[in-house]
Order: sequence, then structure tokens, then C-alpha cells
Amino acid sequence: MQSLAYIAKRLLLMVPTFAIVMVIIFLLVRLLPGDPAIAIAGDKASDADLAAIRERLGLTQPLLVQFWLFLTNTLQGDLGRSILMKAPALGVILDRLPTTAFLTLYAVTLSLLIAGPLAFVAALNRGRWPDAAIRAIFQVGLSMPVFYIGLVLLTFLAARARLFPVGGIGHGFLENLHQLFLPAMTIALYTSAIVMRNLRAAIIEVLDAEYVQFARAKGLPSRLILGRHVLRNALISTVTLLGLSIGNLMSGTLVTETVFAVPGVGRLMLEAIFARDYPLIQGLTLTFAVLVSAVFLLTDLVQSWLDPRMRLT
Amino acid sequence: MNTRRIASALALAAVLGTPAFAQDRGGILNFARYDGSQLVDPIYADRNPDIWMVGSLFDTLLRLGADGKSVEPGLAESHELSADGKTVTLKLRSGVTFADGSPLTGTDVVFSLDRARNGDLSSWAGLIGSIDSITADGDTITIALKTPDPTILTMLATFNTAIVSKAAFDSAPGATDQEKSAAIFAKGGPGVGSGPFYLCGFEQGATMDFCANKGYWRQGADGKPLPYLDGVHFQVIPDDATRILKLQAGEVDVAEFVPFARVAELKADGKLNMELFPSTRIIYSPINVRATRADGSPNPLADVRVRQALNYATDKAALIGLVLHGAGKPMSSPLMAAATQDSINMDPLYGYDLEKAKALIAEAGLPAGTKITFTTLAGSADDATIFAALQQMWAPLGIDLVVEQVDGPTRGAKNRAGEFDIHTYGWVNDVNDASQVVGWLGHTPTAKAVGTGWEDATFNSLYEAAQTEMDPAKRGDAFAQMQKIYAEAAPLLFMYETPFAVAVSKQVSGYVQTPLGANVFEEATVSR
Repeated sequence: MQSLAYIAKRLLLMVPTFAIVMVIIFLLVRLLPGDPAIAIAGDKASDADLAAIRERLGLTQPLLVQFWLFLTNTLQGDLGRSILMKAPALGVILDRLPTTAFLTLYAVTLSLLIAGPLAFVAALNRGRWPDAAIRAIFQVGLSMPVFYIGLVLLTFLAARARLFPVGGIGHGFLENLHQLFLPAMTIALYTSAIVMRNLRAAIIEVLDAEYVQFARAKGLPSRLILGRHVLRNALISTVTLLGLSIGNLMSGTLVTETVFAVPGVGRLMLEAIFARDYPLIQGLTLTFAVLVSAVFLLTDLVQSWLDPRMRLT
Repeated sequence: MNTRRIASALALAAVLGTPAFAQDRGGILNFARYDGSQLVDPIYADRNPDIWMVGSLFDTLLRLGADGKSVEPGLAESHELSADGKTVTLKLRSGVTFADGSPLTGTDVVFSLDRARNGDLSSWAGLIGSIDSITADGDTITIALKTPDPTILTMLATFNTAIVSKAAFDSAPGATDQEKSAAIFAKGGPGVGSGPFYLCGFEQGATMDFCANKGYWRQGADGKPLPYLDGVHFQVIPDDATRILKLQAGEVDVAEFVPFARVAELKADGKLNMELFPSTRIIYSPINVRATRADGSPNPLADVRVRQALNYATDKAALIGLVLHGAGKPMSSPLMAAATQDSINMDPLYGYDLEKAKALIAEAGLPAGTKITFTTLAGSADDATIFAALQQMWAPLGIDLVVEQVDGPTRGAKNRAGEFDIHTYGWVNDVNDASQVVGWLGHTPTAKAVGTGWEDATFNSLYEAAQTEMDPAKRGDAFAQMQKIYAEAAPLLFMYETPFAVAVSKQVSGYVQTPLGANVFEEATVSR
């Protein structure tokens, strides 16, 4: 009951956040030099053509009128028509969103699978060679640009070894586990480097904590200490980190989806910006904002479950 | 027993050996594109990935000849332009159907052309603005013009006048023509066009499928209907390197828009044909010629001698070597690609001559250390190379060239507002006639002479007269004069022409990209 009230309060707090987000989105896209008419008609249109396109798109109306339309339509679930795709923006976004959601979750899962065990090995061997080796390897991963890692994986694992297809997307869950492995791995290699460093530090901190020393002194078996005390407490900061890096993960998809020809919302965002497709940019930014807020809320809930001290404040 | 075996072996050999001209038929061609289509409709196609696919799904009344300069019969088997140049009479080919088998009639032609010339619907309506009315009487189509229009036959061979099915539009859901068009495209299927293929699959931003129109009216070398292929499967791979990897891994048969830096490497690949299709694409840089810059300061580029000097000081061969790795040629006409109708050959157009450039700069009295801004596309490797080269080439003239990097729409906005000194630009003809590109580059009322602000009364009146001049020779003369005036005034940095670089698997033959950019699969074959 109490937690439901907590969620409701958090949701209410999002209302002013979104109001601000909408004003910023609306103004930001219009502050960019160039407008959809120029982007659509390109080099070839005469000035008269451009004026006609602006008229047709409603860009000649006063800003306040445009904003009012944007606000009221959005509240009714209408994000407008994508200029580039010539279709309702909401439909275009919902079409592409599952792909990016799948890719992001896949990447998070992979990074936890990579970072988790290695962080433990590193922390338990603190200062010895396995620790140094693991940290060195991740340092390299962290300092390489995402698109470069992607191209290297594509060249060697896909084009040469033919273990994976070169880019694109498949149909169904299992096929996409295979098809999207390389792009997910590309994002995961970067994310896992951050997660590993954080988790290692957290584990070391917990290992040194008095309650763990006490548990050891009581003669509890190591497996129990690691599982019940160390992992649970070390995970708190990792969950926070993953939650906070949702923005980073999403911006990672912008590059990754382009390199791997994955038709998700990341690539759609790039296309929309280059086309100055106002409705689509607005819709996508709003979608990202909703997702980030949802993930933050989820992070808080998981955190309070992991750490009772954080509950219901 | 033995003789029988020999006899059957001989028979088999005879069968296998006979038809040296046996035509490869069937198969799906896998094609990696640089960008996806959004809506392939003759009148709404406004981006190249849409425009260049129209001809695969739809047919025009007339077709461009192989030389790119003449028109041939298309859906209309004959055409006649009246002596006063104000009436076009066409006769529809009998028995032509849309891909679903329904007949293509005069009603469809009237509907399609009325749509195409409706300025509220299509941004291309101006191309056929001379049309007054279109009427159909059985198989005879009559197009009446308000004024004589020397380009009308070419326009009837241009993508925006392709014929769509009126019945398909009548029955499509949606309140407006645009909604109906989007609904038809989203649904796909054979009912709307009569081209060699019909749309049979589409995933936004990912894939697109064309299936063969089994009843297409054009015939192949074997006397059966084109196309030879069963279909084409397109995949959108925006990243250049990934697109090429996909081809090298054998997952696709064709990768388009190969960066010129990779051409030599792919030429050496035994499994590929590295095609460089001739194009009407020119790369040039508009120069702001206004007396003052947008910020009010005096503009050194307003002096024609300075603009000429920049052109003389630019070593085009070196630029072509650096940017295109040799796969291009300097512009030989100041206003258009050499493949365009009515282009004249002025080669060398501002051949490299540093001494002449220095003399012109001295004559203009340009102070040493004059700062000029060169606006380039952020992220474009080509533009970065061009800037670095020009900075060095122009340094001996005492010019301090600085770079400003922007994205495409920003560059477009700066061009329209005159907020630039010099910036990179490119052009591909959409229409096989000089009027489109000349209007854009030189005619001030159309687009301020590609944003440069250059204005020449003689040029403008020559251009306007050419719009209605029905004598091809006189019209050609007018365009020749315009090219000479434009070269002298140098409102551009004249750079080079580039081909379309497409890497094609050796299993594929007959695929063509036209000088206007259109992807043509009609006569393509694939042998697996």
C-alpha cells in the first residue's frame, strides 16, 4: 500500500518535469539553423517552393500557436505527422522502439554477464595479477570509440569468420539473439568496463566492511558471505550506475544502430535531426524522456528492495 | 546399351551446347542501399532514394533513350508535337496493364497527369506548368499547352509524370490524396503501377522488396517479358564500411555509393566488378558575390577578378586525385555536367595557372592575409580534404582560408540567407534537360543563382527566352551563351564531376544506374 502511494507520488512529480521537457524540445529543434522545408526540398527547390512547403507544414504560424497545437495534440496522444516518413510519428516510433529496447536489454544483460564474474575475480584477487590483467583489458575497451569496436567485430567475426551476419535485423526472438549479438556486444564491451570498475570497487568496500569481517569471524561459509552480504550490498551502487547510464546506453544506440544497420529509434533520431523533422524529433525526445524517467523509477524501486534503508522516503 | 548411352550423352550435349544466347532468368537480387525509401509515388518522391526507384514500379508515357538525350516510346507507342508547339498527341500502347492485370487506360493517364501538375500536391508541379489540359479519347491522349514548351516531351519521360492507377486511388482509404498514396504504399501489391516490378514488402528503414511484374510490356532478349529477375531485395545499410563488408561476405550482390577511397581496393577484388556509372553529378562551391557580407563587412569576393583568381589557383587534377582517387574529371561546362543536353565543352575551364591567379589578385588589390571562410559539411571526409587542399593552394595568393563545419540543413539555410563566403555543394539532374540545373545555378529569380546573389540581366533574359524556344538549335545557342557568360563571371568555384561508384558481384550483370541516378533492374540478371 505504502509503496503504491510512493509510486503515485513519483509519477505526479514527473508532470512538471515533462512540462519543462516539452518546452525545451519544442524550442530546441526550432533553434537549429535550417528548417524541414530546406531539408525536404533540398538543393533543388526554388524559394517559392520552400514557402509553399512551410505553409503546408504549418511552420508559418506564430510560435505560440505552434506550441499550443503541439501541447494539446501530444496530450491526446497525437505526435503529429513525420515529415520525413510521411506517416504518423507515433506509429513510426512504436514500429522501431521494440528493436532498440531489445538491443539495449540485450546489451545490459551481456555487460552484467561479462562484468559480474570478472569483478568478483578482480576484487577477490585485489592487487595480484588477475586483478591487474582484468582492469587493463577493460581500460582498453573503455578508451576505444564505439563505432571502431563495432567495425572491428564486424570485420573479423562477421565478414571473415562468418559467425554472424553483417548487420541488419532478423525476425523473432531467437533469430535476433544471433543477429543482434555483435551490436549488443559492442555496446556491452563499453558498458561492462564501467560496470566492472564500479562493481569491483563496491565489492572491495563491502569485503572490508565490519559486518563482513564479523560474519567471517562467526565462521559463516564464504559462499554464504559472498552471496548474501557482499553481492547484495555491492549491487546497490551498480543498479544505480546502470539506471543512471540509461541515457548513455541510448546515445550509444545512435552510433551502433547506424554501423550495424539496425532499424531502431537511435538511427531514427539521427535521420530525423538531419531532416529537421520537427514532429519526429519531438516525439522521439519525448519517448526518450519517458523511458529515462521510467528507468529511474524502476531503479529506485529495485534499490529500495535491495536496501531497506532507502525505502519510502 | 552402350550405343544408347552414347546417344543420350550426345543429345544432352546438344541441349547444353545449343543456345549460346540462353537468357539467365529468375532469382532474387540482393541490393545494399545507402538510405531507405519513404514513399515511392511519382509525385511525392522528393528525396533521391524515392525518386530513383519510381521507374521500377511505374512507367512514363515516353522513355529516355540510351544516349540520354532523345525520347523513345514508352506507354505511348507514338507521340506528335504540333507545329505551333502547343499540342502533344500521344497514342497509348494497346494491351498494357497494371501489374495486377487490370488495363491501363486514358482515364489513368488523365488522372496521373492532373495529379502531377497540381501544385498543392507535388513540389514537381512546376516542371509541367505549361500544361493547360489533358484529355483522353479512347487510346488517344491530347495534352494542350498554355505556351510552347520545348521540354514537354522530356518531362513526359520524367519520373513525376509516371502513370498510376486511378482505380487504386479511388478505392484506397484516406481523405486526401497524400493519405491515399501512403495507404497504397504501406499495403504494397501490384495494383497501382505498370512498371517492371511491384512493391511486395516494406519495413521502414530496414528492407524493401520488389517482385517481378509478369505481364510487363517490354520484352527481353529471349522474346519473353522483362524483367529477367524474380525480384529485388533491398537492405538499408547507411554505413559505407558495413555496406561493403556485407558485399564482401556475399550477403548482398550489389553495394551502392562506394566511397572513392575504396574504389581501387574493390577493383582488385576478383569476385567484384567495380562499376563507375557516368552521372550528371557535379561538385562545386558557390561563392557569395554580394558587395557586403551578411555581417555588413565588405566582401572581397564581390570582385570578379578575385573569384577568377581562386578558380585559376585551384588545381582540379590534384583535387580529383585527393578526393576521388582519380575517379572523376574536371567540370568542362560551368553550368552542368558534360552528359547534360546542351552542355558545351570549355575544357580546360580555368586550367591551373598560379601566375595568372597572382596577377589577378594584384590587379584587384587584395591585401595579403585576407580571411575567407570555407563552409563544409561536418563529418564529410571529402569536404575536409577539399578544405585542406584549397587552404594550401590559395595560400600563395595571400588568402587565409578558415573552415566552418555545419550539417546539411544548416548549410542550406546559410546558402539561402547569403550567410557564407564559399561553401561546398553538389547537384544531380532530376530531369534530362539543361533548364533545371541552369535555372538553379544561374537564373536569379529561381534561387538567387544558387544563393550567390549573382545577377546578370542578359543571362536571365536568355534563360527566360529558352523556356519557350521551340527551335532546338536556337535554344542550344542560348544555353551556349549562358555558359560563356557564367564562366566569365565565376560565381562558383568550378570543381569536378563524379561517377556513381557501385560495387557489383560478378554473378550479376545488366544492373545500371543512369546519369540521373535512377536504379534500373529491368535487364539485370543474377546467376547463382
